[in-house]
Amino acid sequence: MRAELSLESALIARRHAGRRYLVFIVLSASVLILTFANLMIGAVSHPVGDVLRELVRPFTDSGTDLSFIVWKIRLPRALATVMGGAYLAASGLLLQVYFRNPVVGPYILGISSGATLAVSLAMLTPLGLRLAYLTPFLTTLAGLAGAYLVMTLVVAVAARVSSGATLLIVGLMTGYICSSVTAILTALAEKEKIKGFVLWGLGSFSGFKWLEIWIMLAFGGLLVLSIFLLSKPLNAFLLGEEYAASMGVSIRRFRLFILLAASSLAGLVTAMAGPVAFVGLAVPHMARLSLATSDNRVLIPGACLMGAIVTGACDLIARTWLSPVELPISAITAFFGAPVVIGLLLKRGVKM
Amino acid sequence: MTAEASRPREPDPRGLPREEVVLRAENLSVGYKKPVLSGLSFSFPQGSFVSVLGSNGVGKSTLLRTLSRHLPPLGGEIKIRERPLSGYSASEFAKVVSVVMTDRASPPLLRVLEYVGLGRHPHTGFLGKLRETDVEVVLRCLADVKARHLSDRFVDQLSDGERQKVSLARALAQEPRLMLLDEPTAHLDLKHRVELMGILRGLCREKSLSVLAAVHDVDVAAKVSDQVLALKDGGLTSFGPPQEVLSSRFVSKLYDFEKAGYSSHLGGIEIRGDGSRGRVFVLTEKDRGAQSLRHLSKHGYALKVGVPERHDLDAYVAGALGAEVLTRDSRGGKPEEILRKAFRSLEDCDFLVDALGPEAPNPPGGEEAPGREKGNDAPFSGGGRPDGGFYRRELLREASRLGLTIISLGPGGDAAPLARELEERGTALSGTYGKALSGS
Repeated sequence: MRAELSLESALIARRHAGRRYLVFIVLSASVLILTFANLMIGAVSHPVGDVLRELVRPFTDSGTDLSFIVWKIRLPRALATVMGGAYLAASGLLLQVYFRNPVVGPYILGISSGATLAVSLAMLTPLGLRLAYLTPFLTTLAGLAGAYLVMTLVVAVAARVSSGATLLIVGLMTGYICSSVTAILTALAEKEKIKGFVLWGLGSFSGFKWLEIWIMLAFGGLLVLSIFLLSKPLNAFLLGEEYAASMGVSIRRFRLFILLAASSLAGLVTAMAGPVAFVGLAVPHMARLSLATSDNRVLIPGACLMGAIVTGACDLIARTWLSPVELPISAITAFFGAPVVIGLLLKRGVKM
Repeated sequence: MTAEASRPREPDPRGLPREEVVLRAENLSVGYKKPVLSGLSFSFPQGSFVSVLGSNGVGKSTLLRTLSRHLPPLGGEIKIRERPLSGYSASEFAKVVSVVMTDRASPPLLRVLEYVGLGRHPHTGFLGKLRETDVEVVLRCLADVKARHLSDRFVDQLSDGERQKVSLARALAQEPRLMLLDEPTAHLDLKHRVELMGILRGLCREKSLSVLAAVHDVDVAAKVSDQVLALKDGGLTSFGPPQEVLSSRFVSKLYDFEKAGYSSHLGGIEIRGDGSRGRVFVLTEKDRGAQSLRHLSKHGYALKVGVPERHDLDAYVAGALGAEVLTRDSRGGKPEEILRKAFRSLEDCDFLVDALGPEAPNPPGGEEAPGREKGNDAPFSGGGRPDGGFYRRELLREASRLGLTIISLGPGGDAAPLARELEERGTALSGTYGKALSGS
């Protein structure tokens, strides 16, 4: 009996590992291929060989047009979509686990509304003119400030209330307040400014600077790594706070960590690319459904890779579909992503 | 100490001294800001099954939440294995105490094996990877709750009963000394209720697990518990073995029963009717009329019962139903005396139900007369003790003299005539019960 049990447990322990490795190899390969496609395809498309040659040769100002396009425009943008998608997916996953609610996304706590409000202050009011010396980082800084102010507020509330539902409502309300102020500012603003602002509100990965890429990589990478390292207590959270506590997770600290990490990631992406809809809400579901698990040790890397793929693909479409007009990324993510989620849900027949 | 060394806790009760006190509460107060319960002092040894009884809202869950450290105690002290609750780190505590709450979390896309594996949380390493030994524990726990076959299913696709077993397995996978359960059998059907309690009972006996469970079924508590913790009016009413604590009077008071009675002999609850429909005298003994008694009570008849022996099943059922019971071996009761009483109470009855059937239940020379009476158990002829047949004959004669309707139940307690009669009297019989009754 005992020997049988050991053998069986060994088999079980090994069983899922193989398939998952395969899935991760496929996902990682897709990210690489897509990134490369993003470097090749655009207003002017280039063959693989040329792009590869440019990539192995570091950028110099005296280089070719292609060198400029790859190093100054397409590579930062491609990297930004990879990171942006990954961070939003991780953020959404984290909050879905924490609130045990499948319709929660990274913006549920008012992060994007806060960023939008701050950006509207910068873009639509004379305040922006006075801070003009901050351009081209003005909107980014404003977005960052707005997002993190709201985050601080929500986390401060979270330290006082223990109910997840209460916190959700507080976040939603904060979001509504920010939105209504934004609406007032929009109504008062000059016509020409409004289009730019509205387009910002739909998100775009264009015009990323290398500085921003490094900041995103360092700051966001650290957060994603720490989230992954905490996937054990996060798994315990699948059963709710009380069970997690009964299994030895110290709830108070962990709750603050979840909220801080999720909001920081969402705020970071939002400040730099605007509110990118859908990715944070839907990609965790795509990951869950296609990997057929709720285990966060698998889901966190899975969702990050899928977020990168979805965002990368959508950005490619946004740039090329109606070129030379560039579509806002939020339009594409939802348009192509929602049917995928619906399809997966129907196929698996899962109740979330 | 390495994790490996602490792991193989042998489920051998010899390894765990049974006398060791696993939980001790001293003058404990629990509640949210304001105490809900106070002055609680109790302790019990390793391997005990302790049921917490009390009506809804009395504070059972609050007590459990305090013991599991979800709520800070408002006063007094709790010791687990003689160590104060606050002296445990979160993960140390999780290795000693596990909980099963009413909230049955069932995340989507989580297999039973993974779900139960979450219970290994306090034992696994940094990323919570299950090693072979962990999987082994998980499988053993699943086998312990008889849910081994479920290991590959998704948790959210299980039935309520299966899910509760699986959550029990998850709590077991923590390898605790003490398990706290809040209404573990709520929402379960009878089969799973009985099975689950049996499993818990077995774990206490065989693995020396200690269980503290808030339960609603007094009858179940009486049957499985070593100790009963009865809560009422903000405090501990009684703590002790069920056979000492759970008297009929005590249970009725604990729950403020008015419309029900608990019989410690039957170990069950009987629901009382309001007796507004009329009065019935039921001739019964030896389980002939127990079903009919319940039926009549349910349909609103006040019951009088004669003339079983004092320790007859029907006497207990009738007692729990709040009936006036005349027994034939009442102390000092001469047969004439008993008969006179029976006649008196027959006078204001509306009809008589003869559950003893056409044939006398106790032919002279009685088949199963209790041993101590065997010696003088002669048919009634003035001196000895009369049997049921005697009383039945006398009461039937008296009933006809009084002109009472007599309903005779068929052989084997067939209640079809009773159902017919009740129907004529305007009692709507609920279909299935009526059929079951007449078919039995």
